[in-house]
Amino acid sequence: MDQLFDVSLFASTLRMVTPILLAALGGALCSRVGLFNVGLEGLILIGAFAAIVGNHLTGNVWLAVLFAIVCVSVFSALMAYMSIHLKANIIVVGISLNFLAAGLTTFSLRAIFNVKGAFYDKDMVGLPKWDIPLIKDIPWLGDVISGHSPLVYLSIVLVFVLQYYLFKTVSGFRLLAAGENPTAAKSLGIKVTRIQYGAILMCGVLCALAGAQLSLGQVTMFTEGMTAGRGFIALVATMLGQSSPLGVLGSSMLFGLMDALSTRLQGFSVPVHFTMMLPYLVTIVAMFFFKDKSYMQEARKANESSR
Amino acid sequence: MDNLKNTARALLQPLLAIIVGLIAGAIAIAVVGGSIFETYGEMWKGAFGSFYFFTNTLSRATPIILIGLGVALAFRAGFFNMGSEGQMVLGALSAAVTAIYLPGPGWLKLIAALVAGIVAGGLWSALAGWLDAKFRMNLLITTLLLNYVAVLFAGYIVSYPLKDKSGSAAMAQTVMIDKAAWLPKLFPGMSLHAGFILAAAGAILLALFMRHTVGGYEVRMLGGNPLFAGYGGVKRGQMMIYSMLASGGFAGLAGAGEVLGTQYRYLDNALTAPSYAWSGIMATLLAGSNPLGTALAAILLAALQTGGMGVERNTNVPLEVSSIIQAVLILFISARFTYSYFKKKKKKAGASNGPAV
Repeated sequence: MDQLFDVSLFASTLRMVTPILLAALGGALCSRVGLFNVGLEGLILIGAFAAIVGNHLTGNVWLAVLFAIVCVSVFSALMAYMSIHLKANIIVVGISLNFLAAGLTTFSLRAIFNVKGAFYDKDMVGLPKWDIPLIKDIPWLGDVISGHSPLVYLSIVLVFVLQYYLFKTVSGFRLLAAGENPTAAKSLGIKVTRIQYGAILMCGVLCALAGAQLSLGQVTMFTEGMTAGRGFIALVATMLGQSSPLGVLGSSMLFGLMDALSTRLQGFSVPVHFTMMLPYLVTIVAMFFFKDKSYMQEARKANESSR
Repeated sequence: MDNLKNTARALLQPLLAIIVGLIAGAIAIAVVGGSIFETYGEMWKGAFGSFYFFTNTLSRATPIILIGLGVALAFRAGFFNMGSEGQMVLGALSAAVTAIYLPGPGWLKLIAALVAGIVAGGLWSALAGWLDAKFRMNLLITTLLLNYVAVLFAGYIVSYPLKDKSGSAAMAQTVMIDKAAWLPKLFPGMSLHAGFILAAAGAILLALFMRHTVGGYEVRMLGGNPLFAGYGGVKRGQMMIYSMLASGGFAGLAGAGEVLGTQYRYLDNALTAPSYAWSGIMATLLAGSNPLGTALAAILLAALQTGGMGVERNTNVPLEVSSIIQAVLILFISARFTYSYFKKKKKKAGASNGPAV
């Protein structure tokens, strides 16, 4: 047990949790304005790929992240246009966006890098590791908290920023109103569709960061379908966290820990199939115990009015 | 007259989507520097160029049709069953295990294996339906997560307890099924097997069920207007479990058909790598959950995929170009562009033309 729950497990939890947390925050924003975004998976995948392409083209990590944000924004704008403007069922749009992301990334992998399956270049530089002064020198805590990519810290900061924004500012209050009761909000002069567009675009930016952390923060490579369901786990994290940033932080931490644990257990004599199953099983069990009624009804409404 | 207009409109949507998909594909081909017409020519040849390629396309379409039908049934009832992959894999594994270990004559093994596939896929799917109906756990997400569990579980079974140790190759697979229990090939030397007949029959039966039976009416009512269906005495929870059971049964049959007709064993990744399940879901979306339309859309998607292989063989364009065409097709069709276009036109012409659609 001591071998399992050591410093590096918790350090890798923080690393693993970042993509899930960032995407889940985006999902929370969308669900707060009444949109059930199942396209998180696809948006992260595009972000991860675009970050690698940007890195390959410019050789600069920050430009790469920016490139990822731009690329994903295009797709989230497309998603917003289809679901808000053309009134397509957002679940169907999300699902097809996931298909598009999978198809586009595998195609571009062949077209740009002329490789199949995965792209790795040893000259590429990943996101830098930041050592935090003072905290770095605290014995156990320093090893866990210090030495991560900037996106890891950014994601934690964003949690509090969003929490403050949603519940303490006027603009955040309007956003909540737009989701809670669009008709009433409209009658007050709140521009509901504009807020919805904003939420989806912001969600796109967050997913781009999640993708960049996935492909540049952990391994500096891109593999076909490297999101491996993280977008959907993020969706569950959104639900369990009741779409509030602090709640999302808590639920994402749980899944991050499971992700790290599953990688960690591979070193022990457990068949790899079962260790890989762990995050998904825990997610299902977590869904059983924690339910957000209001949010579920939101999703259900979207589910039922589909066809 | 109105009827004619409606059919024309219903056909216009998929046709436009196909054209837009092909344009997107053309852009992708141009980007990688291929010749657009040559590439599409090769794609056509790869899918329908000869009798061999044509049957090859149909054989690839077989599991896609069956999965699409299952998903269409669930979609019609208003349930997003995203778990076809896991249901198919468990169906395939159960079919293989039944055919290998059940004693008896070949035909008995074959039928028992098909039934086992349907039951396994159906139960796995009904589990998700039950979790939603009983505990209000979102179906869309549980089905997705259960995919990973099912695929990994099947992978474990064929890597450890039931691994074929006779051959020298270290593949994760079961031993071969007895030849007497194979699904017969329809033409000698071609890959098309009797599973295609099952799929075609399934499409027709499901279409009849949806249109002419009480159960089919209840399914459509529940999907169309859940409140109204509730007043009409349709029990949503019960319906959810039954329609998911049937939906998963189709996916399980798809897996069983592949094992008994193509692979003759359960080979890890053989069903997930060609992403039959996701193609099936795409076919359903493309056809708006119409059973016969789903079957046609499945053949179209299979043709794009086998055509893509032809492109890969004979040109420098990667076969992934077909996945772009497929994705754009789906994205375009989900927005119902033509519909909103018609609506706008109507508004301009004055709203006195009677009800739309």
